Formats: sequence, C-alpha cells, structure tokens
Amino acid sequence: MANTIRLYLTCIRNTLEAAMCLQNFPCQEVERHNKPEVELNTSPGLIMNPVLICRNEAEKCLIETSINSIRISMKVKQADELENILAKKFLRFLSMRAEAFQVLRRKPVQGYDISFLITNYHCEEMHKHKLIDFIVQFMEDIDKEISELKLSVNTRGRLVATEFLKQFI
Amino acid sequence: MAYFNGGSRAVVDILSKLRNVEKPVPVDHSFCELGSIRYHIQVLESDQENIFFSISTPRLSQDEPNPNGLADFILQDIKTKYLNFADIIQPPKEGYKLTLKLNFSKLTRTKDHTKAINMVSSLHVAILNSQLKDTLKNVWMGDIIQGSTMPIKLVNHKQEPFFVLRAPKKITVIFPMRFKDESDVILATSFFQELADLGSKFPKAPHCEWSPIPPQELRGEHFENLCTNGGFVSFGIFKRHVKGKKADKTAWILLNFQQYVRYHVKCTKGFIQRRMRYRLEVLSEEIEQARIGGEAKIRKQSTKQRKTWLRFSNSKKMKRGIKAFADQIKRLRLRIKIRGLGRLHRYFFHVPKFPALGWHAKLD
Repeated sequence: MANTIRLYLTCIRNTLEAAMCLQNFPCQEVERHNKPEVELNTSPGLIMNPVLICRNEAEKCLIETSINSIRISMKVKQADELENILAKKFLRFLSMRAEAFQVLRRKPVQGYDISFLITNYHCEEMHKHKLIDFIVQFMEDIDKEISELKLSVNTRGRLVATEFLKQFI
Repeated sequence: MAYFNGGSRAVVDILSKLRNVEKPVPVDHSFCELGSIRYHIQVLESDQENIFFSISTPRLSQDEPNPNGLADFILQDIKTKYLNFADIIQPPKEGYKLTLKLNFSKLTRTKDHTKAINMVSSLHVAILNSQLKDTLKNVWMGDIIQGSTMPIKLVNHKQEPFFVLRAPKKITVIFPMRFKDESDVILATSFFQELADLGSKFPKAPHCEWSPIPPQELRGEHFENLCTNGGFVSFGIFKRHVKGKKADKTAWILLNFQQYVRYHVKCTKGFIQRRMRYRLEVLSEEIEQARIGGEAKIRKQSTKQRKTWLRFSNSKKMKRGIKAFADQIKRLRLRIKIRGLGRLHRYFFHVPKFPALGWHAKLD
C-alpha cells in the first residue's frame, strides 16, 4: 500500500518538475493586464496538454499547464461516508483560508476536491523545488490527517459509549 | 457528564444569594431552562423568611390525568423528600404545576442548607423521574398483546418523542433520532454502532440496538413519528435496572439520551475543528519555508523567542531575587557559629595527603 502511494507521488513530483517552467506573459486580449492563462483558457497556443495521473478510480490528480501558470487539482480517497464528510469538511476549511497558503484556489475545479493555482509570481517569490515538495507533502498530509481523524472519531465514540453504559452498572 | 447532573445552576445561584444577603429585599425572578422547564422564585416584602418557589415541567405523556398540575403520587413523593424545609401550596401559582413554600431557618448547619438548595434545584429531575417510573410501572403491569403492549409515546423535549412498550421479561424504550445536518447523522450513526457493539462487554447494562428502519414494534404509529434520518435506538430495560435507587438514575439517563447524543456530536465536531486548525498552522509554516528568505525569517523568529527568554532571565529583578535567595541559604547553613571550631576541625579532622602509588614520580 505504501509502495503504490510512493509511486503515485513520485509520478506527480516528476510531472510538476517538468511542467513548472513559468514565465511572465501579459494578457494578449486586454492591455496592461496580466492573467493566469490556465484559468482564462482563451488562447490554445498558450495552454499545454493536461496530464491526468490516476492512482485508482477514487484518487487522481490533474495537472494543467500554461505559459504563466499551472493548475493542480486533486481528488482525495473517500472509502466510506465518514471519510467523505471528514474530507469535505477539512478541504472546505482549507479552501476558505486559502490566503494562508497563497497557492491554494478558493474553489476546487469541478469533479475534484481541492485545487492549486501557481503563477510565475509565486515561482519568483518561492523556491521551485520547495513548492513542489510542499504540494507532494500536502497530498500525503491530507491522506494521513483524514485517516487519523476517522480513527479518532471512532475511538471517541467508543469511549463515550463505554462511559454511557457504565452509568447503568 | 453534563447531562447527568440534573441540578439547575441558576436556582442554586439565586437561592444561595438570598441566603447570603445582609438586608432582605423583595425578589421576583422568572426564568426558563432547557427550553421547557419554567421557574419562578418570589420573596415578598411582608414575608421575608419564606421563599415561594414555582416550577412547570413539560408533559411527559399525553395521557396524564391532570395536565395543569401534578399527580397525587408525585406530590406525596415530594412531600416526603422535602419535608424538612418545604410545604406544598395548593393550588399552585397560575401557569405553574407546583408551588413550594421554602423555609431554611430550621436548617442551622451550612452543610444542611447547601444540601437543601441542591435538592430544590433538582426538583424537575424528581418530578420527571417520578412520571417516567410511574409510566414504566404501568407498562410493566399492562397486558401483553401479540408479544408486546401498545407503545406509549412520551415527550421530554419539544419534537423529540420516544416510545415505551413492554416485551416479555423487559421494557423496550425506542428513541427515533433526528438531526438537522447530514454530517451529524453520520457522526451519530458511528456512535450508535459502537453502542450496539459494546453490548457484549457490559452484560449488566441494558441491551442496545440500532436500526435505520422503524422496528417492528412501532408499525402502526403515525408517519410523522417514524420519519427520521438518524435511525432508531432501542434499549431493553430489565427489572434489575429499575430496582431500588437505580430506578431514579435509569429514568434520568433515558430522559436525557437524545440530548446526550447531540452533546457528543457537538463535542466531536469541536474536536475535528481543533485538529483542522492545528493542521492548517503546520501547513502554513511549511509554505512559509518555501519562500525565498522564508527559512531565515523562521530562524529569526525562533531566535527572537530565545532572546526574550534570555532577556527575562538576565533581568535585574530576577538577579536580585536569586541573590537574596542564595544569601538566605548561606545564612541558614552558617546559623550556629562557634569560635575556634575551624581550628579544631583542622587539627583533629585533617585528612592526610597520600602520595600517588607509582603513577607519578617527583622530579628532584
């Protein structure tokens, strides 16, 4: 299990290292404007082919690149209803506080749970390799956090149920 | 356990203040607790010694003989328990089910006074417990038709009914669970499954079952009572659970089960929120490190924190305090000073120096 996630994350890391070659490119349509071309999607010449990396049917990562920006969208594993609501709550919580991360998108792309938008300005302010490390670490941490939350919720439920039944003894 | 402590803190506060007040003043307090229990505390100017305490509790069952007052057996119960300091006023104050005249002047010890105040604050527990115990007793005596009696619908809190019915050798209490949020339903469902699984570990506790669909015993009830999103939780209450003093405790636990579950769901959501905030902080630090100059900034912040600690330890006040402490220790050690003791010490307790055994040779 650990091996498959390692392969998945290595694949994502290698793809990001190849795709994150961003440069400043002013908007071709509006004068003196500078917009992330991956979001506008108006000039096909500026957008590269998107890459979809799937670990399984439930987990996948979509990397869309353009000349001055890159968008990374992730779908997180959700095995049951509890994991579903925990993932939804957690990722919504993070998205609402996107300004703390700067590269996080407030709304995920349709069909995915969370999205990042990295522009050339971010690449100028941050180290490229550390940014990629952050994205990969983020994915690992999300999985780990959701599993831990699920375990904690079940453990809490068991302890509370034990205390409840002890009242009758 | 928040919901198993039945006493009203507001009542304890008000009665304690009335006891401790220097100059008696007229009082007229009306307040509501838990959405359905109403209190009224009154002290008249003409009668400062007596406190008039009125209470109104929700109707547990629609079949109660006296909807505006309390049944005789409950009044008798209260009379016996509160004999030392309370008298029942008939008829009760308008809008309330029971009015007591409290007089704590006979209780001279503070301990007795405090105990009496706590008993008065738990009056609603006593009333509701008596009502449920009477219902359970009636159900126990009832005829069994087709394996169980007809279910009796009881309502403790608004829009949260539960059902009591008799099965062979036990009484079944069924709680239909309803929640506003979908996430609450899922958290509560995992709790109910744990509750059902733990039945084998606690054989003395009531047997608990959970089902997403209405149990067979409730077939025939109104649709609105069976329409739930959290399923149905059933407890099997045996005679040993309602024997002697356990009856009061069992009744109170059953009355508050639905609120207990809601409290657990609320605490679990709070716990999830705390974990998410912690994870957010950790991830924010990681992205800060990715910035050019971010690591140096973090190092600066940590050295600043260290410097403030060092500055604190080097402060003049701290130094003076340490010096004073050290001086006091020295004074304590040298409290008894005998003249000539040092010389004696040197003559009689002198330890001679032995030469090193072959390790070093002194050079001439």
